[in-house]
Amino acid sequence: MEPIKYVDALNNKYGSMGFPPYQWSENDTAPWTPLTKPLTECTVALLVSGGISHCTAAPFDPDARNDHRVDAIDPGEAMDQYQIHDSYYDHADADRDLNCLFPVDRLAELAELGEIGAVANRHWSGFMGRTYNRSKVLNESAPAFVEQLKADGVDLLIAIPA
Amino acid sequence: MGLVSRVVEESGIPTVNVSTGRDITALVRPPRSLFVNFPMGNTFGRAGDNVMQTKILRAALDFIVTAEEPGVLVDLPLKWDDDFVYFAGETTPEAVAKQMKK
Repeated sequence: MEPIKYVDALNNKYGSMGFPPYQWSENDTAPWTPLTKPLTECTVALLVSGGISHCTAAPFDPDARNDHRVDAIDPGEAMDQYQIHDSYYDHADADRDLNCLFPVDRLAELAELGEIGAVANRHWSGFMGRTYNRSKVLNESAPAFVEQLKADGVDLLIAIPA
Repeated sequence: MGLVSRVVEESGIPTVNVSTGRDITALVRPPRSLFVNFPMGNTFGRAGDNVMQTKILRAALDFIVTAEEPGVLVDLPLKWDDDFVYFAGETTPEAVAKQMKK
């Protein structure tokens, strides 16, 4: 099947909810950092934007605007200790098995097999959508996030938008 | 999310996005993107399908090694069993009224 046209669908949805028009980011070029060591020596972190939080923490607000929250996710914690609060995708499957969206356990298995060097000390959940103040992402919240990755010695990041 | 990947990549850490929203990803243009034509929320497959989850995760890791061109977007040749539609979320009048208060 043809890919779903999310830009049109979300523009309609936001419009129907009285949100201001959303100006999607559009880039002609992209930055680039080559991987300089083999995967078997890399520390790998995951980042997901699907409203996943620990059940002892406040839930994410699915309809927040300009929410720059990003939570650390302990890879050693049982994945059934997490909750999902997001109304922009169907998380019925992910509620039963977080790995179908956020494959924390599968990554741990690849580390066990030696296919990657290590799982990072922390994974990440945040950067939900509907961010109208995008310069704050570029200048503040994303750079602050980078500092956390560097503190953990992360060699590569797998980002999962939802 | 794509914007965050761009900032992370610029800071010297390679990134790969695994996306179920092809049009959004094509606009934002993260450094490396794999498109999986599965429902949003099922990026790595179905609940309990560990084999598929691992397959897509491995594809993402391999892509970090093999991708050569900044902004590259590759379609993973995987097919979801059934057709699916845009998930409109909660559209009851009560849910919409709650959302519009924000």
